[in-house]
Amino acid sequence: MKMKSKDMKLNRLIILAIAGLPYAFPLYADDGAATSSSEAAEIQALKQEIQALDQKVQALEQQHNAEQQAAANAPNEQVQALDQKVRVLERLRENDQDAAATVAKAQPKISLGASGFSFSSADSNFVATLHGLVQVDTRTFRHNDNVQGNDGILLRRARPIFSGTVYHDFDFQFTPEFGNGTPGAASAATAPSIYDAYVNYRYSPALQFQAGKFKPPVGLEYLQSDSYMFFNERSLATDLIPGRDLGFELHGDIDGGVVSYAAGVFNGVGDGQRNTSNTAFEDNREFDGRLFVQPFKTSKTVALQNLGIGVGGSWGNSSITNTLGLPNSTGGSSTSSGFYTDGQQQFFAYNPTTMASGTHWRLSPQGYYYYGPFGLLGEYVISDQGVKNSATLMTANLRNSAWEISGGWVLTGEDATFGGVTPRHPFDPRNGGWGALQVVGRFAELDVDKAAFPAFANLAFSASEAQAWSAGLNWYLNKNIRVNASFSRTTFTGGGGAGATAPAAVTQHPEDVFFTRVQLSF
Amino acid sequence: MKTFLKILLASTLAISASAKEIKLLNVSYDPTRELYQDYNAAFAKYWKTKTGDDVVVNQSHGGSGKQAQSVINGLEADVVTLALAYDIDAISQQAKLLPADWQKRLPNNSTPYTSTIVFLVRKGNPKNIKDWDDVVKPGVSVVVPNPKTSGGARWAYLAAYAYALETYGHDDAKAKDFITKLYKNVPILDSGARGSTITFAQRGIGDVLLAWENEAHLALKEFGADNFEIVTPPLSILAEPPVAVVDKNAKRHGTTEVAAAYLYYLYSDEGQEIAAKNFYRPRNEAIAAKYAANFTQLKLVTVDQEFGGWAKAQQIHFADGGVFDRIFQPQN
Repeated sequence: MKMKSKDMKLNRLIILAIAGLPYAFPLYADDGAATSSSEAAEIQALKQEIQALDQKVQALEQQHNAEQQAAANAPNEQVQALDQKVRVLERLRENDQDAAATVAKAQPKISLGASGFSFSSADSNFVATLHGLVQVDTRTFRHNDNVQGNDGILLRRARPIFSGTVYHDFDFQFTPEFGNGTPGAASAATAPSIYDAYVNYRYSPALQFQAGKFKPPVGLEYLQSDSYMFFNERSLATDLIPGRDLGFELHGDIDGGVVSYAAGVFNGVGDGQRNTSNTAFEDNREFDGRLFVQPFKTSKTVALQNLGIGVGGSWGNSSITNTLGLPNSTGGSSTSSGFYTDGQQQFFAYNPTTMASGTHWRLSPQGYYYYGPFGLLGEYVISDQGVKNSATLMTANLRNSAWEISGGWVLTGEDATFGGVTPRHPFDPRNGGWGALQVVGRFAELDVDKAAFPAFANLAFSASEAQAWSAGLNWYLNKNIRVNASFSRTTFTGGGGAGATAPAAVTQHPEDVFFTRVQLSF
Repeated sequence: MKTFLKILLASTLAISASAKEIKLLNVSYDPTRELYQDYNAAFAKYWKTKTGDDVVVNQSHGGSGKQAQSVINGLEADVVTLALAYDIDAISQQAKLLPADWQKRLPNNSTPYTSTIVFLVRKGNPKNIKDWDDVVKPGVSVVVPNPKTSGGARWAYLAAYAYALETYGHDDAKAKDFITKLYKNVPILDSGARGSTITFAQRGIGDVLLAWENEAHLALKEFGADNFEIVTPPLSILAEPPVAVVDKNAKRHGTTEVAAAYLYYLYSDEGQEIAAKNFYRPRNEAIAAKYAANFTQLKLVTVDQEFGGWAKAQQIHFADGGVFDRIFQPQN
């Protein structure tokens, strides 16, 4: 760089020297008035040479400037190139992170929470969920002397509930019962049994098809989950409702649940009974159906959104005639074994010679209303059943009826719903959380057709009518833990004859029973 | 009592019949967010007036190919509004969610608006990029998304390829050489058009973005006309983004009627105006004329003309082992 600078200076000196010649020797020029034309030519040549040299100098200067500029720009371009590389690398990293996040989204998901344990494929087409229900109850009867040994602590329900979805549209549920869950539970078998086992194809919310063992669509109280009932036990009205059965059902929710329908064909079970054998070899079937409307569910009238009314019903033809060699699953105590109090004691039983025979239909208008902390649920049931006395061959259609109305108020202000209560402040005394408290009450009545006596039932032992009222307090510690305490009194008309076993012993006095429950559900 | 019951029943039916809320899911490609935000509001208003029902349209956006795959994998789209017909064909063929002839169900092959590929350059156009020849010059850094995942990228690739075919007398070898040079200038491939816009405009990478026309205008609006300018090449491709109801999903959701109306309304004057305002070229000639100033005239070639249709173009250029796989070498 220094060499070039020296050259430049030398060039300039030469140019200046040559350019100054005419001025340095003016006299010589003047004296040369007689100069020859050769001298003029020489001067002209020198001028041209000077011009050429000047051009050379300019070119060299331009070159020099360009070189200087290039030298100055070189690092800048390198910086720019490096800057672009850095930016590209940063962007690539950013894209890689996005891609990693996308891949993470495609991974199976595991969810643990108040709603159970759930495993799901990334696209939610495959889901497996584990729920559970454990209920530890106590029953304390005031007239303990009539029926010995009915007080106690029991595991009312103990159910792991496996449910899920395969191939997006196929749902399933499998619920075994390890508790003492059978109605009439004081003496019921405690062997594990299958409560729910079904597959449901969901074409759309409005069109679904279910097959297996599950609750038939008839009674409102019975269809409410065991976890969310106001009381430990369902009311007298459910004594006339068919319990879990095997069958096929078409069902759906239209318009977001404004209208719900279900209709199916089932093996058929007696009032208040459920299928315990997972088989039913019998020629006749029962048709069950239910239509439930929540007309204001999607309206903006909040006070009416949780008003639901509906009707459920069934129709079947129970017969004692069975294919030879197959187990007799209808008739006798299997389908008309009796009715139970809140304390799960039998207060009515058909005579052993009474068989189901002929048409059996049920009709159950029903409804509920929930608004804020208030909840109300009611149901009326008629069960009309053909019966026959196998000894006298006498037949009759017996029309039994029952109804119940129950209500609750959440004292701590949370919303009451058909799906339970979620405490606003879960139980955590160290931080001032005490859960939610709900007071509940119920009245229920069951009337047995007077024509049942004496040909099909014995009025000395069985009550023809039972009325029950109940009051209780439910404490929801959190979404999963609940503690109940309630009292039920059932009074009877008829029955009360001598005897130490149900139903006579049960109907000798009104039944007063105090319940408690500790429940875990998730 | 009877009168009371009648009134109760009538009011029950009236209230339950009113205020119905319907939800739709529109699975779309990357740069249509703003278009459908505007359009969804207009359609909801129209549908409310017509039926009294509320419609809430949820949007899902991403690279068109990725979006199609998501629907195939179970994303419950009621409608798809994707970048190119091939992606909806894939949904039809692989998931059978709509019939093979879905494109015949709406006018203009179910493409209510069109677009093309232009250049977005930095202000002053320092690399003097005016035509496709300029983007393949050494030292020019080109930003464009990945044609494997982005519909816009496939349109851009085919636009460049079509230029080369037109320029070199349909000499395919020379066209391949041209496209190879182009992708040598690409430092990064984003998965979708919006990602590439961010790369170019926000992250300051590259000299030119090969962009949807509407996306280029949006970039000017979002990132400042004093930072960028649009260069429309003399020749580009007629991009036809199609729309379709995903029949089986819509049927399952009970939304078939409203989904069909949602797409048909795109052809209405209001729908076309909204498209034009968002720099999509409307099909309606009167509205196209009204917004002519928004759209530079250029020669537009079609996929059918130059490449024999989307199925063939996909197979030759973008399928695994196709031309793109052979010519593109990642720089990093």
